[in-house]
Amino acid sequence: MNASRPPHGNFINYLLALVAIFSLNFILPRMMPGDPLHAIYGDEALVAMTPQMEAYLTEKFALNQPWSSQFTAYASGLLQGDLGYSYYYKDQVSTVIMGALPWTLLLAGLALIIATILGTALGIESGYRRGRPLDRGLIASLMFLSGFPDFFVGILLLLIFGVCLGVAPLSGATTPYSGATGLAYALDVAHHLILPLSALVLVQLGGIYLLTRNTMVSVLKERFIMTARAKGCSDSRIRYEHAGRNSLLPVVTATGMRLPQIITGALFIEIVFSYPGVGSLLSSSLDARDYPLIQGILLLVTVAVLTANLGVDLLYRRLDPRVRYAH
Amino acid sequence: MLEIKDLVVSFNRSPVLNGIDLSISPGDSLAIIGESGAGKSTLGLSIIGLVEGEVKGRIQLGQRDLLTLSEDEMRSLRGKEIGMVFQNVEDALNPLQEISDQVTEAMTVHGFKADASNRSLRLLEAVGLDRETADKFPHQMSGGEKQRALIAMALANDPQVLILDEPTASLDALTKSDILDLLRSAVAGKMALVITHDIATAAKLCNKIAVLYAGKVVETGRTEDLLSSPRHPYTRGLIRSYPNMTTTKDLQGIPGRMAHGVAGCPFHRRCTQKIEICTQQEPKLLPQKGRMIACHRGGIVPLLELDGVNISFEARRVLSDVSLTLYEGETLAVVGESGSGKTTLARAVIGLYQPDSGGITLEEKAVTKRDLDFYKTVQMIYQNPKESLSHRMNVFSLVKEPLDVQRLGSAEEKALRVKRALGEVELPADDDFLGRYPHQLSGGEAQRVAIARAMVLEPKLLIADEPTSALDASVQAKILRLLMDLQEKRGLSILFITHDLALARKVSDRLAVLHRGKIVEEGPTSAVISYPRHEYTRVLLEHASNLGDDRNSGWSDENVLQIDRRDAILSA
Ligand code: SF4
Repeated sequence: MNASRPPHGNFINYLLALVAIFSLNFILPRMMPGDPLHAIYGDEALVAMTPQMEAYLTEKFALNQPWSSQFTAYASGLLQGDLGYSYYYKDQVSTVIMGALPWTLLLAGLALIIATILGTALGIESGYRRGRPLDRGLIASLMFLSGFPDFFVGILLLLIFGVCLGVAPLSGATTPYSGATGLAYALDVAHHLILPLSALVLVQLGGIYLLTRNTMVSVLKERFIMTARAKGCSDSRIRYEHAGRNSLLPVVTATGMRLPQIITGALFIEIVFSYPGVGSLLSSSLDARDYPLIQGILLLVTVAVLTANLGVDLLYRRLDPRVRYAH
Repeated sequence: MLEIKDLVVSFNRSPVLNGIDLSISPGDSLAIIGESGAGKSTLGLSIIGLVEGEVKGRIQLGQRDLLTLSEDEMRSLRGKEIGMVFQNVEDALNPLQEISDQVTEAMTVHGFKADASNRSLRLLEAVGLDRETADKFPHQMSGGEKQRALIAMALANDPQVLILDEPTASLDALTKSDILDLLRSAVAGKMALVITHDIATAAKLCNKIAVLYAGKVVETGRTEDLLSSPRHPYTRGLIRSYPNMTTTKDLQGIPGRMAHGVAGCPFHRRCTQKIEICTQQEPKLLPQKGRMIACHRGGIVPLLELDGVNISFEARRVLSDVSLTLYEGETLAVVGESGSGKTTLARAVIGLYQPDSGGITLEEKAVTKRDLDFYKTVQMIYQNPKESLSHRMNVFSLVKEPLDVQRLGSAEEKALRVKRALGEVELPADDDFLGRYPHQLSGGEAQRVAIARAMVLEPKLLIADEPTSALDASVQAKILRLLMDLQEKRGLSILFITHDLALARKVSDRLAVLHRGKIVEEGPTSAVISYPRHEYTRVLLEHASNLGDDRNSGWSDENVLQIDRRDAILSA
């Protein structure tokens, strides 16, 4: 009963969630009043649509056929990565999204990694020095920062460093038409990344730090810390090996729960900095009422949150034997 | 040699340990017992240097004073020269590390890297954890297994000083006895300090005991001595209130609660034999007959002493050469058949008969005359309450009469004391009841009225001559319980005269067997019951009710508790 076993139950939950999302994506437009094509593509698209095109689409989605065939058509489309056609970008929705996705992954992923590492490190040190100047200072400043909405911090950074000081580019992910390659290209990307990344990190840092610090404070009161001290463990061993590792667990859980927030935060920041990621794409698709694209992005975001949650779950299992060997 | 000198530990300026002097030699195992909050754990933690409060005094280990060492020097001693076994509480082990790794760490942090993990497996095996368990995480282990792991960890570097903090708490009985066996071999040859509130654990593991009360040591001594005849009032109370399946006397607690920072003797608010100096001056821990006791009165004082008392009626010896001692707050049962002279003994004490020779001493003064003062100190209750209560007086007058005789207080004060006395014996004090006459009372009520009448003067000694033999069993049990409660609250000493050994065993601390006017056997109740030496005692035991087959089982009848707690503890 103590043997390590794969978490079947959980995988099934994730699978169910995925099926539910895809089904909703299928059902909702078809439940809207009026013509489903209308609902899927929106008014403006229909105006621009030729009868031939309309016939093609009706055929493609099997809209004139029973629901079962419609669903088969939808599912087989999905399986081939077909999310529909963006009439605004005049390209497959999947292709359009794929163009923007790497930038978002770069921005949000890096922000998450940096904020987590920095937040836990500061939290551990601060919690270990509870009540001393470093602890008080960190609490005050990080609480202050995390009180602002993310886009506000973004705008502030943009104004200070971009507009006033002029040390960072105002928008975009690369300098257009620079033709830079190799190291120069990488530096250019980093230069553009620095402000939106800082904004995201600053906003997320507070929560992670505070959680780590408070967990650290309570873990330090637990009896096994005393056991470790009585063994003769050094201060740093107590701090990192015993208290620190135990303080990480709630941070991992919390990160899983904050993922949607982190992703929406990233999308807002992209819009502020006109960063060519999924956030900016969503913004312009909203402006253009490019429904297939909007739907595609939302689908992608949900799947991303789900996948990331699965990742967090697996990570937690690695970190905490109590879950790994749950009876 | 570990020597603790005048150790004071305070948290926010209020001392938790207040001037502790103790020493432990190699091969010695010292138990620290006391209620929770007495400062036991603080003592353990201050030796290993992990106490958070302010520490003063000296803790000398060999040539070093541990309190002057730097944190780094102290760290290198911890787990290497001083090992500590903690109580197996829920979070005593790191939940994220395998057990063998946690034991290994105890060695690697002191630089013993080579072969550490193999040694850790061997250590775990030595404490009874196999290879498979060694790879487990704490949450996969039972309480006993975790306790074993904690022990292995403390032994990892073979420390010369071993501190065990409640090592058997939160374990079930079977596991506890296994762990005790293991610990016994672990402490052998070391200087061991065992912090426990469990007297059985102390008895099994330690050759010496120190009793801690409100941050002070009140008594120390060899385990057997201290448990079989506690000398400090607090030690006695602690042992009396220790629940044990094999107790003879019913459990009694100690009145009141422990408080720190009390002026004078820390125990004086709960002590039933305190004198004036106790509230003003702190008693020092002084050697006395092979022990150390901190008490202005040198420990529990004898209240009543009979020394070679002889009484004859018309050339017939009724009592010959009777010597007995009754201590403050204790019950001495005198057991004998009718005609053994036990009633004569009671009457001699109360003054109805005059001894031909021999002396009676009360509160260290020879009793020469029975004046009012004497009856303020000594009262008696009889077998048949209805005969001893005048049937012409109602309850109120009956209970008030002793106050009238003593001329104590005004009418209102008397009425108040009467009501209080009735309350103490759990009788109503309303006008209806106060107006009743003895023939309107049940046997149990009448005996309670008789007790109230005796207690209204707040005597120190109550002589009870077969007080319950005229009552049916359930009423009898209640009356006995009442007497024991009064003893606990007031420190009342009881001379309990009975023919019933089973009953005597339930209520008494000491027991004397009277046969044809002679004391043939006398000692702690437990010892007399479990190991009777005199033939006559054995005969009595055989005929005693409820003492048959279940004598040694200890389980059968909650009210009839078996064998003495101290013996049981010692032989545990
Ligand atoms: S007699 Fe006095 S000194 Fe002794 S225990 Fe009682 S209060 Fe303390």
